[in-house]
Amino acid sequence: MHGNPGRDAMALLEVSNLSKAFGGLMAVSGLTFSVEQGQLVSIIGPNGAGKTTLFNLLTGIYRPSTGSIVFDGVDITGCKPYQSARHGIGRTFQRTMVFQAETVLDNVTIGQSLHVKTGVWAAIARTRGARREEEKVREKARAILAFVGLADAGERPAGNLTEEAQKRLSIAMVLATDPKLLLLDEPTGGVNLEEIGGLIELVKKVQRSGIAVCLIEHKMRMVMSMSDRIIVLNYGTNIAEGTPAEVASNKEVIKAYLGARRVA
Amino acid sequence: MKIFSPVRIGWSLALILAILLPLVLGEYLTSILLLIAIWSIMAVSLNLLYGYTGQLSLGHSAFLGIGAYALGLIAVKLHIGFWPAFFASTAISGLAGFLIGIPALKLRGPYFVLVTLGFAAIVGVIVLAWVDFTGGANGLAGMPRPNPIPLPWGAELRFDSLRSMYYFTLFFLVLIAAICHRLVHSLIGRTFLAISHDENLAESLGINTMQKKLISFTISAMFSGVAGALYASYNVVISPDLAYFARGMDVLACLIVGGAGTMAGPIVGTFVMTAIPEGLQIVPYLKTLINGIILLLFIIFLPAGITGGFKAFFYRWGHAWKSGKGRNGIA
Repeated sequence: MHGNPGRDAMALLEVSNLSKAFGGLMAVSGLTFSVEQGQLVSIIGPNGAGKTTLFNLLTGIYRPSTGSIVFDGVDITGCKPYQSARHGIGRTFQRTMVFQAETVLDNVTIGQSLHVKTGVWAAIARTRGARREEEKVREKARAILAFVGLADAGERPAGNLTEEAQKRLSIAMVLATDPKLLLLDEPTGGVNLEEIGGLIELVKKVQRSGIAVCLIEHKMRMVMSMSDRIIVLNYGTNIAEGTPAEVASNKEVIKAYLGARRVA
Repeated sequence: MKIFSPVRIGWSLALILAILLPLVLGEYLTSILLLIAIWSIMAVSLNLLYGYTGQLSLGHSAFLGIGAYALGLIAVKLHIGFWPAFFASTAISGLAGFLIGIPALKLRGPYFVLVTLGFAAIVGVIVLAWVDFTGGANGLAGMPRPNPIPLPWGAELRFDSLRSMYYFTLFFLVLIAAICHRLVHSLIGRTFLAISHDENLAESLGINTMQKKLISFTISAMFSGVAGALYASYNVVISPDLAYFARGMDVLACLIVGGAGTMAGPIVGTFVMTAIPEGLQIVPYLKTLINGIILLLFIIFLPAGITGGFKAFFYRWGHAWKSGKGRNGIA
């Protein structure tokens, strides 16, 4: 089964009645939402609301207890992590993850592994096809590095980069998988205030290139200014959903963030 | 890459030495070199799995034993010639690796290590206890030497002398090291390295880590089987201590001393770990103790091993080197 590009009535990602229980604790319960093609959707909520658990469900790290995930017209509920990446869901992690010992260019090369056709025999024989593919992969890696603004850092070990540059690199690595939907878990976490603007620009640039983005963020000003839609989670359930303006005036949201007394 | 990089010069010198040394050395030292070549093949194969894919196997003695006994049983009991038996034993050890890899590689870290160790212990016991099949503690005798290979101008390559057997083994060491080098530096090799650094991150990037680990494990088991078959053919007699699980740990010690995850590491390590006890003329039962002390000192003071230490040294002091050597370094 493949996604049908003509089917524009359907959303890119459709999550229905998704739940995940850890023992007696419902980390995510009865979640239903969708993400349209090319949209930027932010997921906000207090700590422990189930935001990262949701990402882990979407990328197959956890198996959902109930519910279904349909991506690009294909039911991917219960997929393994590498399969969900192959279907076109890419993600970054809260703790920046790159291959520290490898060069920046090699990190992005590794990101393209899922498209590599060269088999074991061709690699050992170093056939012309294998060499050509290697050159192609390297070429594309350079283009992606230029896109995220790391064009000059290609030969440096990834571990020597600043936190901000490593965040860019981790986005570059996911872009190398050619995702249709990018899940970003706090892409500006742990980064200097002055550098946040650049990362926000990069996220917008990714969205403009036609990739839908799902964002977990705590910085409200950033969320309000850049999101098409916002989903608010609290105790694993979806307490509000809508445009930034709708969400900002929602009583439930104010209650979850500021406590009940402020509303009353 | 420059043609005359220090790394290439180093490898070429080592190869020339390896070819010329037996011409001047006596029988005894040549036989030591031959054993170094065999254990190097096994260390190189373990390096592919542990050094480059990050999966620590303590059970490679099993594949060594399977390769040796497969050659012996096929050649001696079925009266089949050396070459078919040799290729069959290689395939059988690869197949054994594939079949064990499927359940074992689903586990990670210490659990995987324990399964490989358990497997090696089981194979060791089977070889010892299944007397009718393997000859038990008496071992298996009458292993064939490779049949002569006819050359186009009428002569033939014969393998009845010690020296010819050494070159035969050296050929496979070079071949297997070259294959591992190609593999590790290919796009597939990149996924192996990715898994060794961070399996979860690799998986999140769409890499089927189970499949890649299985490829690495199968190839590694196959090459260990080649080492076993070569040993059997050289030694004519094989006994169950070949498949004893401690053998796998000896090879691992060589790999760690030499430097896991580098190309030269397994060969340098095997050479050092064999040469030191031989050079000091140490009695066999003290050898294990000495090897243990060497291993301990390396883990404490130079965990990256000899080649890993070299690499770090030249990275810090020899930036003039760096320009020419690309990403391969001394390894």
